[in-house]
Amino acid sequence: MLIARDIKKTYRRHAVEIRVLNGLNLEVQTGEFLSIVGASGSGKSTLLHLLGILDTPDSGEILLDGKRIDSLPSKERDQLRNRTFGYIFQFYHLLPELSALDNVLMPAYIGHSWVSWWPTRRQWRRRAYELLEKVGLSHRTKHRPRELSGGEMQRTAIARALLMNPRVLLADEPTGNLDAESGRGIMQLLREINRDECVTIIMVTHNLEIVPMTDRVVRISSGRITDDPPLLQPVPTTPLLLAI
Amino acid sequence: MYKIILCVRYLQTRYLAFICIVSVMLGVATLIVVNAVMSGFSTKLKDRLHGILSDVVIDTERTDGFEVLDDNGDALTPQQIIAQMKSNPILRERIEAVTPTIETFAILQFRYRGTVIAKPVRVIGIEPHSRAKVGGFAEYLVRQKGSRTPSFELTASAIQRHEWNRKQWEYHDANMLSQPAQMKIEDPNSIPPPNLEIDKGIPQAKIHGAIVGYAIAHFRYRDDKGQTVEEVALEEGDDIIITTAGGQELKPVWGSFLVTDYLKTEMSEYDQSFVFVPLDQLQRIRGMLERATAFQIKLHNYERDKEIVTKELRMFFRNSPEVRIATWEEHQGPLLAAIDVERGILNLLLFMIVGVAGFSILAIFTMIVSEKYRDIGIMKSLGASNWGVLQIFLGYGMLLGIVGCTFGTFLGIWITNNINEIEAALSSLTGRAVFPRDVYYFKEIPTNIDSMTILMIDMGAVGTAMLFSLIPAWRAARLQPVRALRFE
Repeated sequence: MLIARDIKKTYRRHAVEIRVLNGLNLEVQTGEFLSIVGASGSGKSTLLHLLGILDTPDSGEILLDGKRIDSLPSKERDQLRNRTFGYIFQFYHLLPELSALDNVLMPAYIGHSWVSWWPTRRQWRRRAYELLEKVGLSHRTKHRPRELSGGEMQRTAIARALLMNPRVLLADEPTGNLDAESGRGIMQLLREINRDECVTIIMVTHNLEIVPMTDRVVRISSGRITDDPPLLQPVPTTPLLLAI
Repeated sequence: MYKIILCVRYLQTRYLAFICIVSVMLGVATLIVVNAVMSGFSTKLKDRLHGILSDVVIDTERTDGFEVLDDNGDALTPQQIIAQMKSNPILRERIEAVTPTIETFAILQFRYRGTVIAKPVRVIGIEPHSRAKVGGFAEYLVRQKGSRTPSFELTASAIQRHEWNRKQWEYHDANMLSQPAQMKIEDPNSIPPPNLEIDKGIPQAKIHGAIVGYAIAHFRYRDDKGQTVEEVALEEGDDIIITTAGGQELKPVWGSFLVTDYLKTEMSEYDQSFVFVPLDQLQRIRGMLERATAFQIKLHNYERDKEIVTKELRMFFRNSPEVRIATWEEHQGPLLAAIDVERGILNLLLFMIVGVAGFSILAIFTMIVSEKYRDIGIMKSLGASNWGVLQIFLGYGMLLGIVGCTFGTFLGIWITNNINEIEAALSSLTGRAVFPRDVYYFKEIPTNIDSMTILMIDMGAVGTAMLFSLIPAWRAARLQPVRALRFE
């Protein structure tokens, strides 16, 4: 479904060049829950940003359903970000001026003009309420981000990511800023979404304890995938998860 | 959709935006007030300049008046000249009214608190009825304000005052032997022939009225408390003597008149120097019977006809090179041009205030965009386009401009409408007159709120706000989402 082929990415700061990805190849299947692990600075987040066309590779290509997406015109890239990909960030990245409900609705606001929004506004609001209920925040719809806990903010961000029924959810350290209990809750939620709604999830993490909850784990080292073990079967029986 | 929501939310939640709004508001309010006052001054000044001058003025440099000859070589009287003018079809259709006048310099003398006061004046001989038809005369009279048939007739109280004055002088002259004895009026009903010889002139026996400028007849000074006090120096019925030059050899001549009314144009230049007397009487005094030195012309449609009428009149007076024909604007050209230049420069300087407001918007917007780096990244990750992000910040700038302009417009109009009260409060606070009325001879600060000017100011201010928000908005739009998301 989503393929990264021979991806290279170098960051330049002053005269220093840092090669982050060096000919990386990755293939993600539809409905898969993939976790990408690696040391800090190994290029996990960069890979995620490239897969989600938030950034462009120096060379190589990203293909979605066989179609190259990294070189699309900016308008089509914007549409893909709005409708096909959903993003979950370590620091939640909610808009502080808006309520939880408006934050969840933001992708719909972005995807619609005033004219197209008005006739569909009720169904979008209903879906936003449903998603907030699903993530257990139906009682917090009018609260601003600063009035929510870390876990609640991350749940709001997940609801926002799901609003447009994305095919791929890209999660960058979704539990990285949460305590163990909240992190576990978020992981269970993602697992449910993956299973119930058949959403492909690509998660970047350095927390090895949550990795067994995913279908497949890949490791990045020296800018390449160094370890792509077969799918872990079955998820609930893994010792690590039982320990959690 | 998201652009409107975010613009409004940013406006509601950013206290920095409040500073931008206040900057724009103050700039707009200042521009509106200054423009309203300048326009008020300008309009009032133009009205007055035009008012007293009539649409077209024909005057001659000859001190003995127009010398227009007929086919037989005889000089035409003013009435004949007017009749000839009106026989021209182009002029007849376009001229509404014409009146002959004599304008000359003179010395005005009158008694005030036991001494004789002398003032240089401009004496104008007019036919009051036809002068009123030309306009810009009767509306400035004090007693006969707006009268269709103003005259030099004396009221009963004026004659009574004159009689009382005469008795006072007779008593004074008999006891104190003081001058001027010439002020005696011998027979009020006889009209003696003019006598141009100095010291041998007999005061005109018939009592003639004169309309004097308000500032000639009223003295203004400051009392011990610094308050402006107005004292009547010439009441209705008081005697004045006008001395001017007359005859072929321009010898001093004089005549006595009684004050019958005042001219109050609120233009200090006019109110301090104009004295109107009956045309026929001035003709006699100056020894120029059936002569005039100027014609005042009113047109049916000034803007439409001014050029063709002046052209035709130049043709009409082509054999008289000493005759000058000018519209009122040409007469007052340098003054009108000065007003416009002053207004233009002031506007340019004041628009710098909006420019300062614009730079504060630029600075504040740069801060807001830096503050919003992460939000921009979030919006882009959710599918917002560069153009969409640019629109958010441009729209935000426009919204700040609109809100600032709205408040500024209300504030500007409020200050303009209450400017005299504000001036009074400021004057009492500082102990110094902000608007010295004795300088301008206006009762109050004139203002003229022009909706078109306000619209231009508001559009300019909103445009400036948008222009100065463009650079930060452009920076925001070009921001890479990944860079923005990493920004902490």
